[in-house]
Amino acid sequence: MINDKDLLSILGEQVAAAQAPSRDVRTALAALTDPMLARRAGRLLKDLQPADNELRPVRVGLLATCTVGPLTELLHTSLVGVGALPNIVLGDYGNFELSLAAGQFAADGDPDLLCLLLDDSYFLPGDFDAADVTSLTEPIADRVAQLRELIGAAVQRTSATVVLHTVPLPAALRNTLISWRARAALARAWHQLNAELLALAEEHRQVVVLDLVHVLADLPAVTRDARLHSFADLPYTDAALYALARELGRVVQARLGLSRKVLALDLDNTLWGGVIGEVGAHSVVLGGLYPGKCYRELQLAARRLREQGVILVLASKNDPELVEQALAKHPEMLLRSDAFSVLAVNWSAKDGNLKQAAESLSLSTESFVFMDDSSFERGAIGNELPEIALVAADGDPAHLVNSLLKPGFFDVLELTDTDRQRPALYRSRALRSDFAGGFGSSEDYLQALQIELTLTEVDEFAVPRVAQLAARTNQFNLTGLRYDEATTAAMSTDPEHLVVSLTVRDRFGDEGIVGALFVERKDATWRVLNFVLSCRVLGRGIELAALDWVCTQAAAAGAVAVEGRFVPSSKNSAAADFWRRAGFAATDSDGVYHLKLQDRRDPAPAWISVRERKEALA
Amino acid sequence: MSEPTEVQQTVLTILSDVLRVSVDDLRQHPVLAAYQWDSLSMLEALAQLESSLGVSLDLRFYQQARTVDDLLSLIADSRAGTPAGQR
Repeated sequence: MINDKDLLSILGEQVAAAQAPSRDVRTALAALTDPMLARRAGRLLKDLQPADNELRPVRVGLLATCTVGPLTELLHTSLVGVGALPNIVLGDYGNFELSLAAGQFAADGDPDLLCLLLDDSYFLPGDFDAADVTSLTEPIADRVAQLRELIGAAVQRTSATVVLHTVPLPAALRNTLISWRARAALARAWHQLNAELLALAEEHRQVVVLDLVHVLADLPAVTRDARLHSFADLPYTDAALYALARELGRVVQARLGLSRKVLALDLDNTLWGGVIGEVGAHSVVLGGLYPGKCYRELQLAARRLREQGVILVLASKNDPELVEQALAKHPEMLLRSDAFSVLAVNWSAKDGNLKQAAESLSLSTESFVFMDDSSFERGAIGNELPEIALVAADGDPAHLVNSLLKPGFFDVLELTDTDRQRPALYRSRALRSDFAGGFGSSEDYLQALQIELTLTEVDEFAVPRVAQLAARTNQFNLTGLRYDEATTAAMSTDPEHLVVSLTVRDRFGDEGIVGALFVERKDATWRVLNFVLSCRVLGRGIELAALDWVCTQAAAAGAVAVEGRFVPSSKNSAAADFWRRAGFAATDSDGVYHLKLQDRRDPAPAWISVRERKEALA
Repeated sequence: MSEPTEVQQTVLTILSDVLRVSVDDLRQHPVLAAYQWDSLSMLEALAQLESSLGVSLDLRFYQQARTVDDLLSLIADSRAGTPAGQR
């Protein structure tokens, strides 16, 4: 782990060498708590122009009702910390409403993220009668209604994810009113203001509202400085802005699909207190009073993550029988064996176990978080698999839940049905791996799986899952074009485009929506703009069957050819030969493949039955 | 008498970082207006100075400071005039 002192010099060297900050530097950036250091790191990162494509580019528009101060630098730090390469465009000072109303958020096109920095001054009337609190509360309500309208109009003109936040009520204003009754009325109006802002997230799919008021309440730092406010129209301190920047980093992480999906947990002194091999299954510390209740609360937190789609893996150096006994029989155990998609309880090194767990889940270790009380085990994983995020479970167990949840590793913009079903899906995936052992050839196995692929034109219900897949899929992502919800929704209703979801089921269960095709169909040549497929279902020929279906549709519509592209990234080499496998020929244009439909042979695998959901197709 | 030297060193280091000039340059040319001493850098230096030195400065006098020495004497006044318990 890089310490704060070395961080800036290492970062400076990497930026100067046009390298994306290495993974350990990014981990240190993400863990930075000192806003001064974060600001200095951000200043270095503003000049970052990496020659590699290690970081995911994200364009951020920033509009503010006040001075943004160091927010731009702080955002560079927090965004690079989560693996993004930000290009931040700042709106003109004093033009907040005009910029929102005009819908022009960046000079070079639509940003991916539009951040709105709000402060109390925007909502307050120029003057009011302190003896009549309604002269204060009514204009506040009017102002928030205006802002809601502006934002409602702005989201129609942008496909950006619009992020805003709740606004703290300044103490000076509260204390201006001397009656407790009037103060309560003001506080109520202010809570209402924030409730109205939060409601925007329910009304518009592309709006995210951060509860900054409560984030700041948890911050052990001064969040306002009257001097800065008065001198520079800067209502928030560096500490407050850094807290906001970190929250925005979590949004970007979710928006870019960089969030984690798997939580690997140690047992002794992590999921329970004590060492089971020493005290026995019945005597581990779990439940009851402190400290046992802390371990139970961690189990509860893990269970709740699982309910939201996080896959749990057990990674413990222990005697498996003893562990099984504790998991099955301990009366306070909340996570029984069936809560875990993989149980790696043995005496082997944990890095090998985690790699194997990732393989059996068909997921990359990049989607793993590993929580362990042993600094040795964390260090070993940090060395061998630096892409895995680490959570320290040592120290007072009262901190366990916060240590796990505070970084927001698993954040998503919206929970989909697939998220909810994921742990069960991955359990059947593990069963499938066992089943595979009994067949002479992989084709026999695939036949026996009875795979059913359903292609459905995407409707508004499928849009969030399809956009999420586009954001999160790396291995089979042919062009890297990640259409967000707004764009996907627009394409799905545009007659010149076809957006199709892929749903797969087999004898072990329903995988849900696992892929999507984005096709432009305005000319005699249909163009596949992108094709994403979850790595969960790779290796079964599903991609060929789906493309074959597209070719059939194209031929039926009178098209003469289908064209596709492959844009290599650091992660999609698994899909590099896809177009050739599908019978397409490389063209003179780099990465473009072409198939004349008259030359088409049938590459659809015999073991997949393809259906289309007629009622949803135009 | 080593404290002023330490404070001086801290102030020079912070200013050199914020203004992106070397400590030697600041020593030789201590007039702040010769560098990018605008409201943004002023406030960044203020935040760093206050957190590193445990002082709270009066912005009226801070913004009038012309040289590194002006800042040093402002900080010295603040340290002398503020009982430790209230810092």
